[in-house]
Amino acid sequence: MTTEDRAGVIHDIGYRPYRGPRVSRWGIITGLLRHGALSTFGFGRSGKAKVLPFALLVMALVPAIVFVGIISFLGLDSELLNYAGYQQVTSLFVIMFVAAQAPVLFTRDLRSGVISLYLARPLGPATFALVRWASLVAAILAFVVTPLVIMFVGGLAAGTDVGEELPRWLVAMGGAVLLAVLLATVGAVVSSLTTRRGLAIGGSIVVLLFGLGVTAVLQEVGNEQGQETAATWLGLLSPFVLVDAVQHGLGEATTSFEAPPDDAATAAGMLLVALTAAAVGLLLLVRRYRGKGSR
Amino acid sequence: MGVIQTEALTKRYGSSSGVAALDGLTIDVDAGVTGLVGANGAGKSTLIKILLGLLSPTSGDARVLGHDIRTEGEAIRTAVGYMPEHDCLPPDMRAIDFVVHMGQVSGLPAAAARERAADVLRHVGLAEERYRLMGGYSTGMKQRAKLAQALVHDPALIMLDEPTNGLDPAARDDMLALVRRIGHDFGIPVLVTSHLLGELERISDHVVVLDSGHLLRSEATQSFLGDTGVVLVEVIGDAAPDGTPAQARMGEALAARGVSCRARGALIEIDPDRRDGIPEEQAAAVHDALRDLVRDTAADLGLGLVRVQPQTGRLEDVFREEAAR
Repeated sequence: MTTEDRAGVIHDIGYRPYRGPRVSRWGIITGLLRHGALSTFGFGRSGKAKVLPFALLVMALVPAIVFVGIISFLGLDSELLNYAGYQQVTSLFVIMFVAAQAPVLFTRDLRSGVISLYLARPLGPATFALVRWASLVAAILAFVVTPLVIMFVGGLAAGTDVGEELPRWLVAMGGAVLLAVLLATVGAVVSSLTTRRGLAIGGSIVVLLFGLGVTAVLQEVGNEQGQETAATWLGLLSPFVLVDAVQHGLGEATTSFEAPPDDAATAAGMLLVALTAAAVGLLLLVRRYRGKGSR
Repeated sequence: MGVIQTEALTKRYGSSSGVAALDGLTIDVDAGVTGLVGANGAGKSTLIKILLGLLSPTSGDARVLGHDIRTEGEAIRTAVGYMPEHDCLPPDMRAIDFVVHMGQVSGLPAAAARERAADVLRHVGLAEERYRLMGGYSTGMKQRAKLAQALVHDPALIMLDEPTNGLDPAARDDMLALVRRIGHDFGIPVLVTSHLLGELERISDHVVVLDSGHLLRSEATQSFLGDTGVVLVEVIGDAAPDGTPAQARMGEALAARGVSCRARGALIEIDPDRRDGIPEEQAAAVHDALRDLVRDTAADLGLGLVRVQPQTGRLEDVFREEAAR
């Protein structure tokens, strides 16, 4: 063993300086991204941290497996594979996943104080906040895309037509990406505001679940009152309704809600507003982390 | 080249007339262990945050390892290890996983991070415990884990904010020995803060004393601790028939023999002989003569001498002198 010391003296304690290569900024970012996304599913943490995310994932997969089973064994129409509407079917599990796991990436850092170590690392506050957000996007994406992949592959195995299924599937995949971005922003902003995990979970559930319910009810009321346009734009209140509207307006997917936009322009407008809102949310997140660093 | 240089560094919170956390601080920190001393709220943590590029100063400049704090924060944070004062460990992680992760976040490749994490955890004395969740750690073990994460990327400078906070005396001694070893054996310059003056005199080569954002003194530790020439005397014996206690009797007798002295607690403080130009060999003779005089005085009065001791300086004196001004 070579023991070298900066002072040129050999000590039995054997502290060895590191002279090897160091990772670039981009390497640190991808490493942190992977670590964050994995810890959302409980990897690198205690065993029981894996129970909830995987239980929710399994529950969210059940409908997809059932659909594929029905098509395979009963030979029913592939119309049953409603990719675009799938997230609405499992929305409760998706919301619970976001609400329970977003605090892992945000509240946990703030509560344990480890945030001050992260911010004293090369990346700095703004990049760190954005990487944390991106980790959550990746985790949610994995959660919502897995059932879509199972349905698509399972459907093909059961003999559905690729040419027929692929466009519909791609629309749903695009919707899944949008949903992941919006849900991650809501989850990140809510759970970075508090150091109490319970509060973060409750807050996210209120915003997402009640938002979904309230939007559905208000849209119905709007339609009855003859205010279709207003009802359509109310879809901005819930990421699920919004994604459905965008999929319907821009991708001609079947809608699951009462007041989908009639034309592509409205859908594009809604998409633009939603993305702007997400950008504002991210800006708040970055500001919050900048403030944390200086304290 | 110095490790840290600051030039008239000032940080005010709130408006420009607000309270200054740092006020025109100009210091120069070199290799070895540098102690940053000051009461709570003296501006120690603020200084560290500024040096890490996390907080921008109101005015003034500073360079850390040659990097400008305003424009090269990332380069500084890559090269510096930081141990904060407060709790900063996720309870649901094992120390080994956590230190590996922090190594990677600091730019170590995965394999190197694993190797170095095991190494530094051994150095800080968490060899066996590193596979346990940190939530179950004692305060001493937590402080060690915090130190390990600051060392894992082999920093060129390490800043420790109150590393002995909350430790019992034995753990405090261990931590101080560890800090000293980092500065001297590992060859990593250390900036260590404490609100306890006594503990830094033992480990630091240089001491910077802050008082409400001002620099009180910045000197080699030795110059604080040199022989002050003052001699302390403690006697034991009976009080005089009129009730004068032994100490007062001794003091009076010494004064009667032309020695400038006063009471300090249970001790008698004898002022040094301030005559200038006493040659080296004669100074020793004067020194001995004073001790002989003390011995004879005590013998004449029938008192027992408990101690005759030269007083060395202490960091506390810096504050006392400053307050007296």
